[in-house]
Amino acid sequence: MSAVDRQLLADIGRSLALSRVWLFLGRQDLRARFRRTFIGPLWILINLGLFVAGGGLVYGALLGQPLAEFLPHLTAGLVIWGFLSATVTEACHTFVVAEGYIKQFVFPKQVYLFRTLVSSTVVLLIGLSALFVLLLVLGVLAPLGWLCALPGLALLLAAGLAHVSLFAYLGARFRDLPHALGGVLQVLFFVTPIIYPAELLRARGVDFVYRLNPLYYLIEGVRHPVLDGTFAGLDVYAAGALYVVVVFLLAYLTARRLDRTLVYLL
Amino acid sequence: MTTLSIRLDAVGVHFSGRTGPGDLKGWLAERVRGDGRDRSGAYVIKALDDVSLAIAEGERVGLIGLNGAGKTTLLKVMSGIYPPTAGTARTTGHVCPMFEFATGFEMNQTGYDNIRIRGMLLGMTRDEIERKLPEIAAFTELGKFLDYPVKTYSAGMFIRLAFAVSTSVNPEILLIDEVMGAGDIRFADRAKRRMLEFMEQGKILVFSSHSMEMLMSFCSRTIWLEAGRIAMDGPTDAVIAAYRASEQRHAAA
Repeated sequence: MSAVDRQLLADIGRSLALSRVWLFLGRQDLRARFRRTFIGPLWILINLGLFVAGGGLVYGALLGQPLAEFLPHLTAGLVIWGFLSATVTEACHTFVVAEGYIKQFVFPKQVYLFRTLVSSTVVLLIGLSALFVLLLVLGVLAPLGWLCALPGLALLLAAGLAHVSLFAYLGARFRDLPHALGGVLQVLFFVTPIIYPAELLRARGVDFVYRLNPLYYLIEGVRHPVLDGTFAGLDVYAAGALYVVVVFLLAYLTARRLDRTLVYLL
Repeated sequence: MTTLSIRLDAVGVHFSGRTGPGDLKGWLAERVRGDGRDRSGAYVIKALDDVSLAIAEGERVGLIGLNGAGKTTLLKVMSGIYPPTAGTARTTGHVCPMFEFATGFEMNQTGYDNIRIRGMLLGMTRDEIERKLPEIAAFTELGKFLDYPVKTYSAGMFIRLAFAVSTSVNPEILLIDEVMGAGDIRFADRAKRRMLEFMEQGKILVFSSHSMEMLMSFCSRTIWLEAGRIAMDGPTDAVIAAYRASEQRHAAA
């Protein structure tokens, strides 16, 4: 193992131990987002509710889906997608935003990666609680399903951290990246079975569209257990895990190249 | 316990950049003009060049040099904030940097909260901060303002707050970049005394200053930087004498 690897691994360990710092910074980010608003974090729920209500009615009718099934499907998809897309778009600014801290205090830089994940994770948990309540109200809540969702949730969070780790470094180096990713995510939103169910693609014989899409598996790892009350298929976990490993590997190789000189890119 | 030390071997810090347009518009304009002249304005600044030094536990070292000589860059390399672009730097021990007082405030939170935030960023534990809070608060003399959001503070009040927190940590390796002369007359005097006590605690102290008086009273050793290189490294009185002589020659010429 080279000196670069040793340094990087030691930094990652030290960053984990500095949880009080990144938890604090993450909480500040959330507070800042809703500062001076009257409604505060409730906006997360209101916006989600509007999207689900509007989209649910229109697409439910268009796709011929019964609402009691379609609304939870749509809510789950949107909440999880919101997390995935936040970990990509916010990641690009992670180090740029932390410039003042990076140039003044001596923390390992991974502290700022964890910080970025904190606020997206809190928003995810708020969204999932809303889904819980929705399922309860509709009378289709499967309590065991939420336990079965834990492995999928772990994979989802791991994917989030992997995204943040990769795009934080790349975003600091290539300032065009956040703009490019914004467009790519928009396309991915429509080709991933979030609004419509995956079965519709299968029925039309174009199931490769989601089968080749790693984000589908990450979403399904949480959505399937929560809605159906059972574990997702083994392929879902396998594909999700493979994706997480690959992105982490890319992130590690990127960090290896850029971590030391990062401060000069800001 | 390991012995504290700072060791730099042939350290260089080269910043590169460009003044010309590095975007699509500039690139197109270049193609259209097509006269092959380089308008990128690429430049390289050697903030530090071939700097080697070793500082052992117990040493107090001063840094002198004109603006832009590389004093701040050298301190940032020692702290680990700037990795050298050439050579190697190794610092053993917990570094307490005192570089600037401007960033790291949360404008909408109270003075007390900002003391906690800053304490944490400087590496204090929660208990340590709560224990020291009354003393820090008293030293700022900000009174009821500590209950108000810091966005209501004047520039001088920010400095008081930041200074009080920074000087309350237990430093191992203390790196200070010209931060004396903070606040109004009443504060400056108390700040100076506190600073002196604080500097006494550092097991290694490196600080840059334009005050020859401070350097003489604190450092047995002084390093004189000139254009990113070490011009002289030795006993403080000898280095200061040479530095003054050089400046006088420059003024006469």
